[in-house]
Amino acid sequence: MLPLIGLVVGAVLAVLLQPTVPQDLSRYVALAVVAALDATLGGVRSALEHTFNDRIFVISFVSNAALAIGLVWLGDRLAADLSTAVVVVLGIRIFQNAAAIRRRLVGG
Amino acid sequence: MRRRSTLVLTAASAVLGFLLVTAVSSVGHARRADAPRRAELIALIDERRDLVAEQDGAVSALRDEVDAARRDASARNQRDRAEGERMADLALQAGTVALRGRGLEVELSDSPRSSSADPDAGAFRIHDTDLQLVVNALFAAGAEAVAVNGSRLVATTPIRNAGDTIVVNFRPLSPPYRVSAIGADRRAFEQSEIARRFRRWTGLFGLGFKLSQREVEVPAYSGRVAIVSARPR
Repeated sequence: MLPLIGLVVGAVLAVLLQPTVPQDLSRYVALAVVAALDATLGGVRSALEHTFNDRIFVISFVSNAALAIGLVWLGDRLAADLSTAVVVVLGIRIFQNAAAIRRRLVGG
Repeated sequence: MRRRSTLVLTAASAVLGFLLVTAVSSVGHARRADAPRRAELIALIDERRDLVAEQDGAVSALRDEVDAARRDASARNQRDRAEGERMADLALQAGTVALRGRGLEVELSDSPRSSSADPDAGAFRIHDTDLQLVVNALFAAGAEAVAVNGSRLVATTPIRNAGDTIVVNFRPLSPPYRVSAIGADRRAFEQSEIARRFRRWTGLFGLGFKLSQREVEVPAYSGRVAIVSARPR
């Protein structure tokens, strides 16, 4: 329950502060969102499975986002579209985590 | 331990929510920033296009007026009459009078099969060079006056590509491209290299190539005849 409230608090904060992102960087922010979504779902999953470790979680949260952004930046330098690779891999993981959470909560 | 895990997750969710809203609003912001500029550009293009059409019409009307006045003046005496005839002859050759006569009409169109993903998508489209070759072949087949989509070809006419559009007399054309040529001989044109190639391409790529012999009308050149540097020697 508390994580959901945190989500809402963060969203409300963003609405209130109205941070503006330069257009060149908006792609990176989008990927950071996907990475953060993946890490958060992974955290929720491990919490439900009672294997949650806060240190591992925080490190994976930050490093996943950093790695995603770094890969896309590298892809831009090389003119290779690595953002697709990042989105695909993280997308698959998001689905897997969501499925695990669902199994935990409703069974089956 | 359990308390701490919930706290960490809560903080992470807050960051996630913050990022999510920021990303969504920045995408929306960028889109909103683009929309009015695009509408403005479209309005500007339409406006300028209307202006060009209007001035083209004015040029034709004024040219007709000049011709009529000249005819009036030349009726007065012998010398002026000879001068008037010479003027009419020159206008005929310069392309500033509308003409009609028996000739050919060639219609070229892009292939309906084309796909932009295809590596040789260019083979499915009509290019400026195709149009140039067809026009050249028509002149070689005896054409005396030629127009493409109602744009008269004169001595200073360029036929070229601007992006994906073919531009003739600095006016963009939209497909299909209809080339009207007074005086062109059908048999001579069909024996030309480009006509034979187009027959082949019609089967291979589905390019449109239609040929008809009939009474053709070619409008007057409506642009500015700007001969500034060239002088008779």
